Amino acid sequence: MRLKGDHKIPNRELVKHLYRFIRPELFKFLLAMLLIVINVGLDIVCPLLITRHTETLTSLTTSSGQEALLAIISFAVGFFVLSVFNQVFLYAETMLLQRTGQKIIYNLRMKVFTHIENMSQNQFTEMPVGSLVTRVASYTSSMSELFTNTLVQMLRNILTVLGVLGIMIYLSPILTAFLSIIIVVLFVVSMIFNNYISKAFTKERGYLSDLNTFLSENLGGMKITQIFNQEKRKEEQFNEKNNAYYRSRIKLMIGFGIYRPFVSFLYFGAIALTFYVGLEINLTSAMIVGFYLYLSRFFNPIQNLADQLNSLQRAKTASERLFNLLDVKPQVLDKPTARDIDHFEGKIEFKNVWFAYHNEEWILKNVSFVIDPKTTVAFVGPTGSGKTTILSLIVRNYEIQKGQILIDDIDIKDITITSLRRAIGQMLQDVFLFSGTIKTNICLHDESFTDEDILEASEYVNADKFINKLPNKFEEQVIERGENFSQGQRQLLSFARTVLHKPQILILDEATANIDTETEVLIQESLEKMKSIGTMLVVAHRLSTIQKCDQIFVLLDGEIIEKGTHQELLKHRNFYYKLYQLQFEETIH
Amino acid sequence: MLFGIHIRKYYKKYAVLFILGILFLIFVDWIQLYIPEFTGKIVDLVNAGVDEESKKTILEYCLWILLIAFGMFVGRMTWRFCILTAARKTDRDLRHEMFLKAEKLSLSYYHDNKVGTIMAWFTNDLETIEEAMGFGMTMLVDATFLLVFTLIKMINYSLALTLFSLVPIIFIIIWGALVEKYMTIKWDQRQQSFDDIYDFAQENFTGIRVIKAFVKENKEILAFSKVAKKNVSKEISFVKTSITFDVLIEIVIALVVASLLGFGGWFVYAFVTNDPVVLMGVEIILTPGELVTFIGLFDTLIWPLIALGQIVSMRARAGASLNRVSKYLDTPEDIKDDPDAIRLTDCKGKITFNNFTFTYPGDKDASLKEVTLTIEPGESVGVVGRIGCGKSTLVNSLLHLYNVDKDAIKIDDVDLMDINIHSLRDNVAIVPQDNFLFSDTVENNINFAHQDHGLEEAINAAKFSDVHDNIVEFTNGYQTVTGERGTTLSGGQKQRISLARAYAKNAPILILDDSVSAVDLKTEEKILHNLKEYRKGKTTIVVASRVSTVSHLDKIIVMQEGRVEAFDTPANLAKTSPTYQKMVFLQKLEKEVEGGDTPGKRYYEAKRGS
Repeated sequence: MRLKGDHKIPNRELVKHLYRFIRPELFKFLLAMLLIVINVGLDIVCPLLITRHTETLTSLTTSSGQEALLAIISFAVGFFVLSVFNQVFLYAETMLLQRTGQKIIYNLRMKVFTHIENMSQNQFTEMPVGSLVTRVASYTSSMSELFTNTLVQMLRNILTVLGVLGIMIYLSPILTAFLSIIIVVLFVVSMIFNNYISKAFTKERGYLSDLNTFLSENLGGMKITQIFNQEKRKEEQFNEKNNAYYRSRIKLMIGFGIYRPFVSFLYFGAIALTFYVGLEINLTSAMIVGFYLYLSRFFNPIQNLADQLNSLQRAKTASERLFNLLDVKPQVLDKPTARDIDHFEGKIEFKNVWFAYHNEEWILKNVSFVIDPKTTVAFVGPTGSGKTTILSLIVRNYEIQKGQILIDDIDIKDITITSLRRAIGQMLQDVFLFSGTIKTNICLHDESFTDEDILEASEYVNADKFINKLPNKFEEQVIERGENFSQGQRQLLSFARTVLHKPQILILDEATANIDTETEVLIQESLEKMKSIGTMLVVAHRLSTIQKCDQIFVLLDGEIIEKGTHQELLKHRNFYYKLYQLQFEETIH
Repeated sequence: MLFGIHIRKYYKKYAVLFILGILFLIFVDWIQLYIPEFTGKIVDLVNAGVDEESKKTILEYCLWILLIAFGMFVGRMTWRFCILTAARKTDRDLRHEMFLKAEKLSLSYYHDNKVGTIMAWFTNDLETIEEAMGFGMTMLVDATFLLVFTLIKMINYSLALTLFSLVPIIFIIIWGALVEKYMTIKWDQRQQSFDDIYDFAQENFTGIRVIKAFVKENKEILAFSKVAKKNVSKEISFVKTSITFDVLIEIVIALVVASLLGFGGWFVYAFVTNDPVVLMGVEIILTPGELVTFIGLFDTLIWPLIALGQIVSMRARAGASLNRVSKYLDTPEDIKDDPDAIRLTDCKGKITFNNFTFTYPGDKDASLKEVTLTIEPGESVGVVGRIGCGKSTLVNSLLHLYNVDKDAIKIDDVDLMDINIHSLRDNVAIVPQDNFLFSDTVENNINFAHQDHGLEEAINAAKFSDVHDNIVEFTNGYQTVTGERGTTLSGGQKQRISLARAYAKNAPILILDDSVSAVDLKTEEKILHNLKEYRKGKTTIVVASRVSTVSHLDKIIVMQEGRVEAFDTPANLAKTSPTYQKMVFLQKLEKEVEGGDTPGKRYYEAKRGS
């Protein structure tokens, strides 16, 4: 999935970026490479031993003495010892690389996650969660392939090819020259095949994702298909996609089906050639066996090399996406001069505030008001009048375009975001619950809170009543997004969450949904208690909530059109009065 | 090999491909063993000293090797093409079968089973099954025959050496099975730890508002680092296990080869020096060439040995997948036609509810209770009432998405349960609440019910639902792609396209299930006007949350808690039904508030102006 602003990065830049992550582990990388060199060396020497062994065997005559047998045995023992060494080195090298590579990926992944975590609220609305997740999880994994596998395997294969070539030239330059014809054919065929296969593979993946998207959409929309009697047509569309996918797989299969057998044909061709030419140029039988053994060590690396080039390409795309993301800067940032504030009295002032999410589409138009410390204010008005926006501006989720927002007469831009948000307890409209337990949802994985703290906070907001009725109480599982709890229960949990974190100012965006009467009473009771914590701003939808407030601000189209207490506003019989009748009298629909 | 009713028919269907493939596979396995044999013979000949005659023989052997290699090339291509094509065809057909099943399953099935779960059967399980059918079968045949042929040849060369290598052979088979089993566990753990990263990030980014509100960014980063670290340790542990197994098996193989070199060398030495080793009363005769061949054969043996172990485990996984898919395919279909269902032709649009009570499957309480009323052909009827009073259930019941009691609902005096479902749905068009649009062009979405309709018809329908002006403003007009992967439309636009789609069907009965809730009042008025004009003489039912939406229709059903409280003309209801009266009053108020044109605002503006 692409994000806005994704772009290509020149290779040199990419390497530079990557090098920053490799540098701390450079020594280990070099060590691993040294091990690889030894490894490849041993790999090449082992067949040499078998060659010598065969040589000894074939030169045996009836009069050969004990020393010939000794030589044979020692070659066998030598072969075993070298093989064991080889495997031990292989183990050491693999594990070293794995640990090093995983460490690099860990650091990269943390860097990406931290970076995303520190972006501003508004930036999240522009980036689909799915593509962010892919970056943290999948793209970093493609990179791990690069460090733990691709880079070193390429090195290994190149070394092997060169080493074997060297040995073969040493054994017989003429035969090697003949064989090089086949080697060139192999290389060219592998390159062509890889090109074909990587294209076919991309296509196959494309068709598969197309098919699965179609399936998941149509399973979800099956009702529409059924009530419109379009099963036949949807089946045709499905067949089209299913067949396209099938055909792409057949193409892929044909590619592999020809390439693999052809490579082995080339291999046996090379063997036949070895024997024939070897004979013509009078090579010893041992030499011939040697070539025979080396040939197989030559074919695999060349096939692998082509594959690794593809892997390199994947890693390139992945790293591009990652570094693109790391280049995005957070939009709401602390000023260098911003201060940490520990204690707020709770006076909140808006001075001629203008705000728009998109340029010039003003949501708030010249809004000014002052809220005295420790008072409770309700914001009411029709949908889209800007109530919720006011709350999110106080916690600096967005930057205002004009005017000033002050808390205790300090511009919030001069306060660090951390200390500002720590002081303000936010209770949002649709309460987001994480999967985990009730407890982790209240303390939000903060282990500095004791169980008593959590219990106390829950009791304070009346959440303990329903929690204690749950089979596992505070350890009750919360499933994805808290779907196993009612709106009212979620609201109480969010209260508990807020109270536990000891805020000095409270903002509450009341839920609009219907809440059963019993829970509603609990919510109202705990709201009454929370008023004493400090200044409280409420976007209210319930009459019972509004009546408790010291002041009511009535908003319409981004402007405050009325202010006063509930009784005062009712007396005026203006907008609030209508709104009151509409929203808070017992409604029917 | 996999067995089961749903897979057996594909073995039969593609029997020719499967059998041909297997035959070629066996053929390749057989001839490929001649290569080490010829190699060995050549080595012996070269060794004995090359003269003109042996040179000719060697050349002949070389040609043989080439010929065999070519045979293998053709054989390998053929079996791959045959078996893998058969497996891919099975995969395709099975997926098709599953999709057909999906089209036949009723709404209640989709209610009980999440799309994600069904998707897993379509993706993961099908893949596992296909792997077992193609690759798994190949491996099984290949490994078995290669193993048998190789063993026969090895015994021919040297019984002693074969017996000697038998111990490691058994060891390797058991090893292969163990490794596969153990590695599957390790792999799952590794995958799980990766999924944890995925889930953590997914949830964190979705709930980022809470995290930012409580300044928990650092705590979350710390928590994520734990998850990421766990993944690192699982990755390392997976690789460690896998490399340990590999290294150990390589050492075992090296041990066998070294022993063959040592002991075999000794046998050859003893044979050449005319003092053959006697084992269990048998003189061992072994030439250097034969030893080379033998080592080559042993090398051939390693792969089938390891593969046999893996097949066991692969089969177990595929068996579980096939079970899930079979269970899905065997799901009984609860909504289907009676054998002698009546086709609804020339529908007039009369609808009768007769003491209709309905309870959703799995619910305790009835959603509709004793509904009795008749909608005459050509009437336009509104349905109003609180959220959850059963409005939607009432109109949706006309589509036979759930089974209802006999004679509870009649269309044109025919029992709904007796009507052929296809013909019923041809005659009833609905605009559902959720406005689901497919990832397709706007034109195709509107013409969904009529493939033969063109742009003109789509435009007509779009004009009816007052969305034409919006559509032409899109960059690609009617060719704009909507849905999951297309342009994001507003709720109101989606709703009106969905309305156009139902209208384009031009059915005798049209149902609007709360279908103008997301449009503004002016658009709503336009749509209602069109409804009156273009649906004249055809039955139209409009479910609404606003009373103004239905106040100009012929009749209105007022519902309360699953019962029909009143059913009459708006004029009569205004006189008789207190509920309706209150709704009308509140509606007027809302119009004022939403329009912003209220005494309050005027007052405020006047005050500010002064």
